[in-house]
Amino acid sequence: MIWSAFKISLLVVSLATVVVSIAGTALGFLLARREFPGKELCDSLVTLPMVLPPTVTGYYLILLLGRRGLVGRYLFALTGWTVAFTWEAAMIAAGVMALPLMVKSARAALETIDPRYELVSFSLGKGEIETFFRVTLPLASRGILAGVVLSFARALGEFGATLMLAGNIRGKTQTMPLAIYEAFISGEDHTAQALAVILTLASIAVIYLTNVLTRPKKAQ
Amino acid sequence: MLDAAIKKRFGVNGPTGFALDVAFTAGEGVTVVFGPSGSGKTTTLRAIAGMVTPDEGKIALDNRVYFDATAQVNLPIQRRRVGFVFQDYLLFPHLTALENVLYGIRATDEKSRRARALEMLKLVGVDHAAERCPLALSGGEQQRVALARAVGSKPAILLLDEPLSAVDVATRSRLLDEIAELQRRTRIPFLYVTHSPADAARIGDTLLVLNQGRIVQQGKPLEVFNAPLNVPAAQVAGAENILMGAIAEHQPEQGTSVVDLEKCRIIIPRADLPQGARVTLGIRADDIIVSREPVTRTSARNLLAGTVKRLLRDGGRVELVADCGVDLKVRITPHSAQALALAPGVPIFLLIKASACHILL
Repeated sequence: MIWSAFKISLLVVSLATVVVSIAGTALGFLLARREFPGKELCDSLVTLPMVLPPTVTGYYLILLLGRRGLVGRYLFALTGWTVAFTWEAAMIAAGVMALPLMVKSARAALETIDPRYELVSFSLGKGEIETFFRVTLPLASRGILAGVVLSFARALGEFGATLMLAGNIRGKTQTMPLAIYEAFISGEDHTAQALAVILTLASIAVIYLTNVLTRPKKAQ
Repeated sequence: MLDAAIKKRFGVNGPTGFALDVAFTAGEGVTVVFGPSGSGKTTTLRAIAGMVTPDEGKIALDNRVYFDATAQVNLPIQRRRVGFVFQDYLLFPHLTALENVLYGIRATDEKSRRARALEMLKLVGVDHAAERCPLALSGGEQQRVALARAVGSKPAILLLDEPLSAVDVATRSRLLDEIAELQRRTRIPFLYVTHSPADAARIGDTLLVLNQGRIVQQGKPLEVFNAPLNVPAAQVAGAENILMGAIAEHQPEQGTSVVDLEKCRIIIPRADLPQGARVTLGIRADDIIVSREPVTRTSARNLLAGTVKRLLRDGGRVELVADCGVDLKVRITPHSAQALALAPGVPIFLLIKASACHILL
């Protein structure tokens, strides 16, 4: 049980973190640097899972992606596959819950970068994409990395939304937090303890890493 | 040759709004855009660079159209080939000095790019700091690297927005001469924004005077500062006469030196500068006395003979422009102007205390 939950968590959380890091940075960039109608509404929507009870977020995800869901029904009609109760569902739930942290961190990090650095880069003949990867991203890298670490932690601890959308199927969708719950309910104290220790150590590592990353850089 | 006509409106009409409306050409050499803060200097520069979009007008450099409101042309910054140097340098902090310069250099192979970057750093005299991070450089060094970075990208024009207002006076004086030298070597037209008359006179080949979004005078820097054409130009030019010359001889026992201004000589109250040193002098228009007769027994060390060029009446005072070989403006009261029967062409004598002549740069 420990080993399978560990493997599922690792797969789900690492994939979710990769997707969230890229999508969250892109969204954070749009929010920090571009003006478009409905910008703050977009920010609110993305942030919503941070404030909503996770079960409510999970419920919305079912309404959206379930077999009869708004998007899910077309997916099912086209492919005969539905996302609910698969490991992909666990990944989506973890991702949606982690995205607000990533977007907030990326937006905050990018907003502290003087936009004139980008103007300098343009004046040196560089396009928007090259400027983003060679100037903006490196300058905001610490804040963005801190966002990645926080997102990883949020995805690792995800419980409520995952339970709603992916269920608690051992060996399939059962991540470590779900496994702890089941172990505890069924009296397998040693299993619960072992999983709790693993998650605690991971959390300590996360706090340490974020502190290191967000500490202001000392002048040389 | 830059050919610009820029109209841009900010805010609403009336006292809170601001409208920029300028048209000018800038050719070879250093063109200084001079004016008080809020006069539209920076907006003009940013419009040329493509960082601000004008409401109306046309901007073209050597027949390449950057912006044309009627033809709906608006080239993005990266296709304009304009170098831009900011007051606060804005070196990329995650790159070394050399990497900052390399960033803008277009060349195919790594070896020639590197060679060119090093050559650029050498040109501005900071090749010794090539491997250092911007944070480890002094303000003057950072601005030199920023210049190297901008020039290295082979811009068609270099725009400098108050590049020296954050460095100390000694460094500023040296850098002004170096920037002028850099222009002569690269032959790129420079557009240099400043609100310092001394800087403008020292570096400018021509000067555009901006006030409240309009060009009020255009010409050689010393003419603009010492012989304003009209009241608005006189107001922007300020109270200071700007003179440029070189130390001709010392008078150590007096604690003074003679400055050669080509067409006349001025005695200044300092003897510590080396002979031949270039100096930029300031003499306030209020510190000069006008006389109709040559005064012989006086404590004033400088007595210049000349004629009245023009008189500008601005409220309760008169600004008199005198031609004494160099132009000098003098502020007098309307009463004095009347009592001395001053009018264009009248011969006069100017008395200036040595201590009223101070070194600006």
